[in-house]
Amino acid sequence: MDVLDAQLVPAVDGVAYGLLLFVVAAGLSLAFGTAGVLNLCHGALYAVGAYTGAELSDGTWEGMLLGLAAGTALAGAAGVLLAACTAPLVRRGHLAQALLTFGLALIGGDLLVEYFGSDAIPVRIPGALDQSVDLLGHRYPAYRLGFIAMALLLAGSGTWVLTRTRAGAAVRAAAADSQMLATTGRSPRAVHTGVLAAAGALAGAAGVLGAPIIGPGPDTGDTVLMLSLVVVVLGGLRSLWAILFASVAVGEVQTLGVSLAADWAPYLLFAAMALVLSVRAHRGAVPEPAGEDGGGAPAAAPVSRLLRALARARRPRPGSARRTGIAGEPGNPEVRRGGTGGGTGPSRTASAAVAAGRLLPGPVRRAGPALALLAALVPLPVLLSPYALSLVGYALALGLLAVSVTVLTGYAGLPTLGQAAPFAVGAYTTALLAGAGWTVGPVQVLASAAFAALFALVTSPAVVRARGTTVLMITLAIGELTVVAAGELKSVTGGTEGLIDFPPTQALWGGEPLVDESPAYNYSLAVAACAIALTLYFLRSPAGKLLIGTREAEDRMRASGHPVTRYLLLAYVGAGALAGVGGSLLTTVQAYVSPADVGFEIAAFALLAAVIGGTRSVLGAMFGAGLIVFIRDWLSASWPGHGPLLLGVLFVLTVYLLPHGLAGLRTARPPIPDRRTPAPEGTP
Amino acid sequence: MLELTGLTAGYDGGTVLHELDLSVPAGSVHAVVGHNGAGKTTLVNTVAGLLRPDAGTVRVNGRDVGGRPAHQVARAGIGLVPQGRRVFAGLTVGEHLRLSYRPPRPAKGDGGRAARRERTWTPERVLELLPRLGERRGHRGSELSGGEQQMLALARALLGTPRVLLLDEPTEGLAPVVARRIRELIGTLAQEGISVLLVSPSPALAVQCADTVTVLTSGRVTARFEGGPLRSDPGALHAALELSPLPSAAVDGPPASKASTGTVGTGEDGAEADGALKASVPDAGPGAP
Repeated sequence: MDVLDAQLVPAVDGVAYGLLLFVVAAGLSLAFGTAGVLNLCHGALYAVGAYTGAELSDGTWEGMLLGLAAGTALAGAAGVLLAACTAPLVRRGHLAQALLTFGLALIGGDLLVEYFGSDAIPVRIPGALDQSVDLLGHRYPAYRLGFIAMALLLAGSGTWVLTRTRAGAAVRAAAADSQMLATTGRSPRAVHTGVLAAAGALAGAAGVLGAPIIGPGPDTGDTVLMLSLVVVVLGGLRSLWAILFASVAVGEVQTLGVSLAADWAPYLLFAAMALVLSVRAHRGAVPEPAGEDGGGAPAAAPVSRLLRALARARRPRPGSARRTGIAGEPGNPEVRRGGTGGGTGPSRTASAAVAAGRLLPGPVRRAGPALALLAALVPLPVLLSPYALSLVGYALALGLLAVSVTVLTGYAGLPTLGQAAPFAVGAYTTALLAGAGWTVGPVQVLASAAFAALFALVTSPAVVRARGTTVLMITLAIGELTVVAAGELKSVTGGTEGLIDFPPTQALWGGEPLVDESPAYNYSLAVAACAIALTLYFLRSPAGKLLIGTREAEDRMRASGHPVTRYLLLAYVGAGALAGVGGSLLTTVQAYVSPADVGFEIAAFALLAAVIGGTRSVLGAMFGAGLIVFIRDWLSASWPGHGPLLLGVLFVLTVYLLPHGLAGLRTARPPIPDRRTPAPEGTP
Repeated sequence: MLELTGLTAGYDGGTVLHELDLSVPAGSVHAVVGHNGAGKTTLVNTVAGLLRPDAGTVRVNGRDVGGRPAHQVARAGIGLVPQGRRVFAGLTVGEHLRLSYRPPRPAKGDGGRAARRERTWTPERVLELLPRLGERRGHRGSELSGGEQQMLALARALLGTPRVLLLDEPTEGLAPVVARRIRELIGTLAQEGISVLLVSPSPALAVQCADTVTVLTSGRVTARFEGGPLRSDPGALHAALELSPLPSAAVDGPPASKASTGTVGTGEDGAEADGALKASVPDAGPGAP
């Protein structure tokens, strides 16, 4: 009983915390479930409420009520604005909306910090609430009890409106089939706007009331968004009760968990989420084709099928027979050229690459753009300053990450915000290997790829069965929690300080340590070229077609006997390995790694790079990564302190101006037309 | 009264409907028949405002609603019973009725309105017409049978008290007895003064309940018949349908063999489709493994 008694206060705290999360997460879930907007600036709306409440509350009841009214109204108005911003994107899918709202979150966060300063603001609450009351023999803050009552009231009335009123029925009908709602004479757009306004108002009210519990500070928005995403992932989108349960569970983990097992607390959330997701995956959110589970087909089947598909690509073609003698390895000459490119000196390889593009037919000509890019990158050490060269090296590392995002988002149809996680695994693997004396480049790269692939394999049950925006949320949570773990696991990762002072990488066995920028760049370019060549080779083979088929017509692929989930698993693991290679390069290039290098911002950059590149173009993603690195560096030099604001603007501009990425500029029409809302003949 | 003039519509891929003219007087049933891909659902969706017309007008009692968003079209008095029913899976029957009921707004100095208000479709009146829905009031849309879903979709459209009712393949996939009930309902609703526009691939349904039948071929009107003469001799309609080429040449069966299976007109819905299918099978035979 003593233990129970001692934990009473954190347990009640957990309830308050959980209810706070519930009010926020319910709005997030509502906005997504009914208006179809994955609102990544929901946390910023909470922060708006929290700052407004803190600013207006002066320790009186009037101040608090004024704050509540103003904060709710402001956040609700922001919700209306959001509805107006997302309305043109209705037909563009969730990815565009996620990017837009992320951009808006960056802008909003920067403006809030600009206006309120970067320190956390103290909140003054009315005197009557600012005291302790007796709770089963413990002193407990009265405000928190009041908050629990208030949050229950909000949650209860929201649920009542949604399930018992005509407006609630309209909202649920809009979620089910907005066209049919329109045929009953109601404007779906008005319903969407109303939902986003209500979700914003809820977040704002939660912000005002919750300000004494979470925030307001510069990280408030991110923290709240992250925790509510975890709640929505855990609770699902179907039931408010499930979300309530998940919220309180997360709240308890954050309070009771910290109190009971302080050392483990950072991972508890991770563990709880992994548990729930794997249990749910086990129950089979997406049914597997019947023959497989029952018949016990060997797990290697899809592997061998993919290998067979690869072998088909390898078959020599009439046009390439002559070249076989020259290039040695048919199908992926870039590998060889890229591999030697770093070592044998820039000019020769460049001219050889250009010559190869002109003389050799078939596959090599298709690799022309890749070779041209390589040819442009090879002579850079001669042309650029060491600092610029290290930036390009960094862009190569980020580019590999962006390519892995492209493979998942554009080919496998799994939009991801969490590829920074395997990227982190690769980066830390290389740093730790170097610290332990393993400094040979290929060993580091392969080990990083292997560990990142292993990480992807472990997290895959949560990802490969989900589709669409759920993937965005789940991968976002995986990425965030990995960063948290990297920051907390001080003995291994050096905590937020990061790892530094490990010996530099050697390009090959017995080679010189890559201390200077130029050899380090050549090494990075060689590794990146190999990785890109392998990726292109895979994606252009029939195996890549299987992935495209899965993305475009999953059911039909299943019906044709393809073990779709396992293809996606392979794609996810492969993309993880690719991100791991990128992470390894990151460590080599900057000789330093910290959680800030692998955080959510980086994951979002990678996604933006992929989108700028057109989401289906590997080279476009590399180019997008380069553009982002360049812009970020240029911005931080010319307008210091406002990086997030301008990047947010970049996100927003990309969404509106480049709907199909840079690739869309070249082709007048999108390669695959977007689905228009009224489907032709026969939509059930 | 529904009037379409020069209606042209399509998707990104190209134009599906070409300058279609059609009118449905109040209290009459107009059926549009045609093969798959002829543009029937495109026609219905365009009239309902789900698809924006590229040209032409859609007039309800003289008022042009072409190009308006779907909810305004619905308020102008066009009700839609869509293909595949599309009831809200998560809402109960009762919630459907409550959500769809739209009492007409009291108008100033409009003498016609008063009479109209008496004819307003209230949930009670709809349940009188479709008593089965009353028994299933607490069930969710996803828990209903196909026939019940069709009734619910009809109820949803009626509760807006439409002047024009669009029915997209209303007997598709229903048991013969339910299909007959739907046919009776169509007649009842027309007697109420509603203009009914019905599209169906089956000429049988058209022959049985339409006052006018239009044959649509690749988005163009290729024949038009009066309903009365058709009921005694449906052969002309069948001939018009047989002669109309299918949108894809690959599926074209020999007209002679199809005509020999033409027992439609007295049979149940869908018999014609079956006949066409049977006729085309021997042709596909040699190519198939």
